[in-house]
Amino acid sequence: MIRSCGILCAAGGRVSFLLVGMLIGIPIHADNLLHHNGVGRVYDPYVQPLERELELRTYYQTDDDPIESDILRQRVGFGAAINERVFAELYLIGMKLPGSAMRLESYELESKIQLTEQGEYAADWGLLVELERQRSESIAELATTLLVTRQWGNWVGTVNLGVEYEYGSNIRNEFDTFMSAQWRLRYRESLEPGIEIYADEFTHGVGPVLTGLVRGSGNQKWYWEAGIILPANDTTPAYTYRVLLEYEF
Amino acid sequence: MAPSKHIPGNYGRKLKWRMRHLTAAALCCVAMSAQAQTPVFEIEIREHLFYPSELKIPAGQKVKLIIHNRDATPEEFESYELNREKVIIGNTQGIVFIGPLKAGEYPFFGEFNPKTAQGKVIVE
Repeated sequence: MIRSCGILCAAGGRVSFLLVGMLIGIPIHADNLLHHNGVGRVYDPYVQPLERELELRTYYQTDDDPIESDILRQRVGFGAAINERVFAELYLIGMKLPGSAMRLESYELESKIQLTEQGEYAADWGLLVELERQRSESIAELATTLLVTRQWGNWVGTVNLGVEYEYGSNIRNEFDTFMSAQWRLRYRESLEPGIEIYADEFTHGVGPVLTGLVRGSGNQKWYWEAGIILPANDTTPAYTYRVLLEYEF
Repeated sequence: MAPSKHIPGNYGRKLKWRMRHLTAAALCCVAMSAQAQTPVFEIEIREHLFYPSELKIPAGQKVKLIIHNRDATPEEFESYELNREKVIIGNTQGIVFIGPLKAGEYPFFGEFNPKTAQGKVIVE
């Protein structure tokens, strides 16, 4: 997610984030933090040929700081498999600040590449390439993310490790790193509980998530995710609620 | 005539040639043995049915499943129990790795024709 300029003064004492920061050594820069929230989704590395989908993601954050509270983000996407290994999706990304209407902020083109067959090796591997462009400012971001999933019995662990380059005349050009992870129980197809972790240069968050799949007729499927991400540092909103709905056809 | 002078050169070239081929053969053996470690099973999709509809595989071992879709239309091999999902375009084949699994029965179905395309993997 593209950063915009400003300073956040997030309030409230928060627990330190032990694991992720130590693992990847996240750089901290305090120059472009306003309304930033690094909570997204955790991607699996799989692609199905002929797959098409419509996607709606909603994020709503609240915080002790009124500047960072009551912010709604929405992301609408359409994606389709290009071949057996590559899936491409185009997103429109909007944001609503308190007292104002929803506004289209940016566009994003995303491509997921499945690198290995599921179950062939100890872990399944994929790659995600994203290009996002702000609509009203000269700010863009190119990101590459390694997607890794491994199954242990009824548990599935997924880690996304990424590097992004932000550039444009309205932003300091720089590289950043980010990661997200999910640990999920395959309880039943329609309901799989789990926990997610998000970390980037500002966001350190962790929280519970529920996911599930509901089948329609033929090859139609509804996939959903819902979660609450809580902060583990002072620059993450107090609560980030996230909901995702995918219609596959 | 000094044939003896040529022998070491010929011998050296032959040795190199032999070593190169031995190395290649060894690599082939390693590759084949690695492949041989994963048993291969095959399933066909014909007229929206799986053949065989019951597939027996060994417990505790990963297997490679080659699914041949003989129909002109696509089919999706789907199984929540196996945690596998694979779309196979018409008149092509797809590869699905499953296991290692505990003994038991793991149902699968064809998502595009779920009423007819059904089967199960029996692990024993």
